[in-house]
Amino acid sequence: MTQPPPVLENEFETEDIFVNMGPQHPSTHGVFRMVLTIDGELITDVTPYLGYMHRGAEKLCETMDYRQGIGYMDRTEYLANFNAELSYVMAVEQLAELEVPERATWIRMILCELNRLSSHFMFLGAFGTDVGVFGTAFVYGFKNREIIQDLFEEVTGDRLMFAYFRAGGLAWEVPDNFETRVREVLRDSREGLQELDGLMTQNEIFRARTEGVGVITAEDAIDWGTSGPTLRASGVPMDIRRDEPYLFYDQVDFDVITGDHGDVFDRFYGRIREASESIKIIEQCLERLEPGPIVPDRLPRMLRTPAGEVYTRTEAPRGEYGIYLVSKGGNRPHRLKIRSACLSNLQALRDMTIGGYVADAVVILGSLDIVLCEVDR
Amino acid sequence: MTTDESNGSAAESLDDTIWDVVDAALAGITADPERGAQDLIVFIPRGELMRGLSALKSSESLSFDYLRNLTAIDWEEEGIDVVYHLYSSTHRHNLTVKCHLDNDDLTLDTATTVWRAAGWLERETAEMFGVRFEGHPDPRPLLLPEDMDDTFPLRKDHPLAEIEVLQGEGIAYAEEAFE
Repeated sequence: MTQPPPVLENEFETEDIFVNMGPQHPSTHGVFRMVLTIDGELITDVTPYLGYMHRGAEKLCETMDYRQGIGYMDRTEYLANFNAELSYVMAVEQLAELEVPERATWIRMILCELNRLSSHFMFLGAFGTDVGVFGTAFVYGFKNREIIQDLFEEVTGDRLMFAYFRAGGLAWEVPDNFETRVREVLRDSREGLQELDGLMTQNEIFRARTEGVGVITAEDAIDWGTSGPTLRASGVPMDIRRDEPYLFYDQVDFDVITGDHGDVFDRFYGRIREASESIKIIEQCLERLEPGPIVPDRLPRMLRTPAGEVYTRTEAPRGEYGIYLVSKGGNRPHRLKIRSACLSNLQALRDMTIGGYVADAVVILGSLDIVLCEVDR
Repeated sequence: MTTDESNGSAAESLDDTIWDVVDAALAGITADPERGAQDLIVFIPRGELMRGLSALKSSESLSFDYLRNLTAIDWEEEGIDVVYHLYSSTHRHNLTVKCHLDNDDLTLDTATTVWRAAGWLERETAEMFGVRFEGHPDPRPLLLPEDMDDTFPLRKDHPLAEIEVLQGEGIAYAEEAFE
């Protein structure tokens, strides 16, 4: 879509202009700042600035015991809290060699996929605003997200900061009507996805605004370390759920969604299709859910791990959420590194934006679906 | 190449890992394998690290084209380990590479020449641990303020500030405030 600037017959002396976007820009989804160097309407360079939300989450986790760290994970990835908690508790479980009961694993899977769904709804709504479908998409997206968030509140007692997973299992049993409620939510979500699909995917103006914009090739996407829907939109079928199955992902049937062009539209549409796959996964999980214990029989009150290290990675809605846990023995990590999916995705922003128009910068940034709390940690 | 005498016992337990392929790809480079809880860990000394990482990426049987993660671990008096988590998008296998640095010389060549993904991760490791990455194209701090170059928050000798330091002295706790 990008065309070279027209060549003037009489060359004027021109100067590049610097435009500061953020950190308080509504489309930066938090506090992200980028300085655009522009030549007319064309972007010639982008310099991102991060760190406005840096709270030292890793350092804090190194001073807390394993149980206290769980709550902190919610605060790094606040739109996909279950997925973040999961990486952390899985790391602790692997080091401590804890066996997770079957029922707890299925419930974890249901909640993580529901969280993917709610996170994608949030994206669809917010992305509509970025593109300029002001208001409508946002209301639809948030309405659907809220339905799922209500269910999470019923299960965990908190709307956002769940702290529901424990090393070994779950904090407590889900409510009696959990299955019926999940099915209700799935029914609503399916309708909601169709609405958003009709509202945006089939909208000519929306497509003109997103197709062919912010393209990144598969080689570049891999080299920059992008992951999740951003990477798969470029046609790389990498999905940790399938490639290195954790929980019971090897026992359910789902498709890995890839795009063809690596543009903004593919990153957007990939998420809609991925959300439908999540519904498919949850339905299969519900079939397999049976009564049983949700924590191991012998779970120590104060969890200690032997010395060692582990790097667990899970497929969070935005990509690979990894926890690198190094222990010297004892009840707290010696080093805890959070591998942020958004940080690596953001690195590729420069490649996607240069050569595009100023108006596209917001759309491209929006298509990465960043969570600044996770980037800055 | 590791000598069989020093790793005789370790090699036996590495049977089901990709160590023999890694060993072949790293011909002529000192590499110490260790079985991790999940992935194979290989220690490569600093002088040979960049050659080793490039070999791991370009080897056809390994093709580690994806840098998952890059960070460091502070072992206090014993120096700092820089850790690379590698993944191959074609073969779908993992490898952890570690490089040990002594406290009196925390410099290392940049891995941005191998994977561009290393760019921001190295900037973060540099500001948090004080490891200097030689030849980095953009060595500014990533998350911390630009003038905060004398202290390294993720080192173990860097304490967490007391709450009074952060919020100001004389801030009453809730119960006292309502009395």
